[in-house]
Amino acid sequence: MKLLVVLDNEAVQALGDAAHPKHRRMIGLVQVVAHRKRRALDVALVVPTAVRVEAGWDRAGAVWASVNRLGVMDEVLGPGQANFAAQIRSATGVSVAGAHLGAVVQASKADRVTVLTSDPGDAASVAGGRPVNVIRI
Amino acid sequence: MRGRGVTRLDAIDEIYRLLADAGQETINTSMRLPLVLREAASIAVDELGAAPSTTALASAALRAALEAIVIQAALDAHYEAHPGSRPSLAELAVNAAELDGNPLAQNPGLLRQAAEQVMATHPEADADDVLLWAEALASVA
Repeated sequence: MKLLVVLDNEAVQALGDAAHPKHRRMIGLVQVVAHRKRRALDVALVVPTAVRVEAGWDRAGAVWASVNRLGVMDEVLGPGQANFAAQIRSATGVSVAGAHLGAVVQASKADRVTVLTSDPGDAASVAGGRPVNVIRI
Repeated sequence: MRGRGVTRLDAIDEIYRLLADAGQETINTSMRLPLVLREAASIAVDELGAAPSTTALASAALRAALEAIVIQAALDAHYEAHPGSRPSLAELAVNAAELDGNPLAQNPGLLRQAAEQVMATHPEADADDVLLWAEALASVA
């Protein structure tokens, strides 16, 4: 079974700032993913690149070095996903980052998708009909 | 970078750089695999369709293992630098339940109790061990 875990803007902010009130919680979620990877479970942590832009996560920036090491992979906004995200944004009025997150969720071939977010309502609305496990951080 | 006395963080960064390189260049390595392991992998590929080839199967397994190693190494380095960021086992069990969509995520008291009981006899336990024990406790409550 493949599990996909998608980060939203505040999840990224919390992960990147050790002083953030939700930092410890985010580290805990990443730690569980690490444990499961060690057990050879197929689980991936991803960030839509538009979310990364919104969060200011510059992988070349020194302040983000420690987050770069936590195995969060980019979900790139390519042409196909851009079309999909545009449709989601038109239909729901969410931000560009939120629309990209929705496109990642809806297009994923994972058996189960989880979104780590500060806004469960938005995350659910961009998921369309796709079953998604939304965790409020 | 090997042999230059690199730090652990440098090593983590270098492993990530190498894993991110999508190049398909291959090499006949000098790594020696147990013969029976190679034969088992060959059967898994040929008879169970586990992967397109034994090379693909071995590469995928090695990549997954390396990813797990570097993430844990990065977390350990983070805990060293920020000891207050290390979650307790009970907190991790809540996180595990949340990731699974398990209703026990709403019962942190039970998960805390389960973590204490598991830790008493299995100090190396992880969050999934605690979650399993909590499910057992809940089933007999």
